[in-house]
Amino acid sequence: MNTYEVFLKKAGKEPFSHAGSLDAPDDELALAYARETYGRRSEGEQMWVVDRSAVLVGDAINLAMADRDHRHNDGHLVAELRQSDPGHTR
Amino acid sequence: MSPDETAKELVLAFADDELCVGQNHSWWIAVGPFLEEDLAFSSIAQDELGHARALYSLVSNDVDRVAYGRPHSEYRSAHLAELLCHDWTKALARHVLHDLAEEIRWTALLNSSWPELKAVATRALAEEQFHIHHGVSLARRLLSSPDGYMRLAPVLSELAPLGREYFAGSDVGLVASGVLNASLADQERTWMERVEEVFDEFELSIDWGATRPAQGRAGVRSEDFLALHDEMVAVLRIDPLATW
Repeated sequence: MNTYEVFLKKAGKEPFSHAGSLDAPDDELALAYARETYGRRSEGEQMWVVDRSAVLVGDAINLAMADRDHRHNDGHLVAELRQSDPGHTR
Repeated sequence: MSPDETAKELVLAFADDELCVGQNHSWWIAVGPFLEEDLAFSSIAQDELGHARALYSLVSNDVDRVAYGRPHSEYRSAHLAELLCHDWTKALARHVLHDLAEEIRWTALLNSSWPELKAVATRALAEEQFHIHHGVSLARRLLSSPDGYMRLAPVLSELAPLGREYFAGSDVGLVASGVLNASLADQERTWMERVEEVFDEFELSIDWGATRPAQGRAGVRSEDFLALHDEMVAVLRIDPLATW
């Protein structure tokens, strides 16, 4: 058995999203099982089924470090500054 | 029989085949060989019961009564449809043979002069593409391995001749009146060729037999029918007002 990852896309501008995974003996049956396991109630109008061995898995080097909060600037410093100086004199 | 009565008999026999196969498939719910197959097979069971209901509703206003309440001798199901398949190899072989036959039977109704029947056929045929994709893919996959071949090939060869009964019964006047787009004999020939073509590379030796079995169509129930029917009506016996 191979493991496959199933992605479904709803109508409109929604992106593909991961529906789940399944085991199947080959690609042809993977498509059949994907339909019955994740799409039998018309959950999507497009389907991708990916052999998990074809998925590139990122490791620590590829993943951003968790403590870089300057990447999460929500603008509060600017907002505070403007509130303390309504005339924008600085 | 008038052409109208013959057409009703044909629909009833088709519905009985679907009811029996749907009920039989549902035996595998939760005990399928693996989770994904369990889900797929259960879903196919539900589709077949849906086909049965759609066909019964063309010939009766009381679907429950006609599906569950007739004396056994009034059922018209083919014996292959009634066969209890508590062995997965058998269940898979019957699934493939049944659905290959269904595809041909629905196709012969696709341009039927009976509009409601034509509508049911159009809808069912769309589901049939999936059933066949599923059954044939799995059967071919198993036949490709030595162990799978040893188990599945003899069962397919053994059950195939029974499938000829799907094409038994009267079609007198039905091609002329346009209810059927192909005679039962033509459908049967197409089915046998299709079965041979699907499994061509695996060199199954199928002895189709000299005559077409027709006992089920004539009202004689197989040994397995009693147990199947008992299970089918178990809920109804507990609660006669239950609906499906």
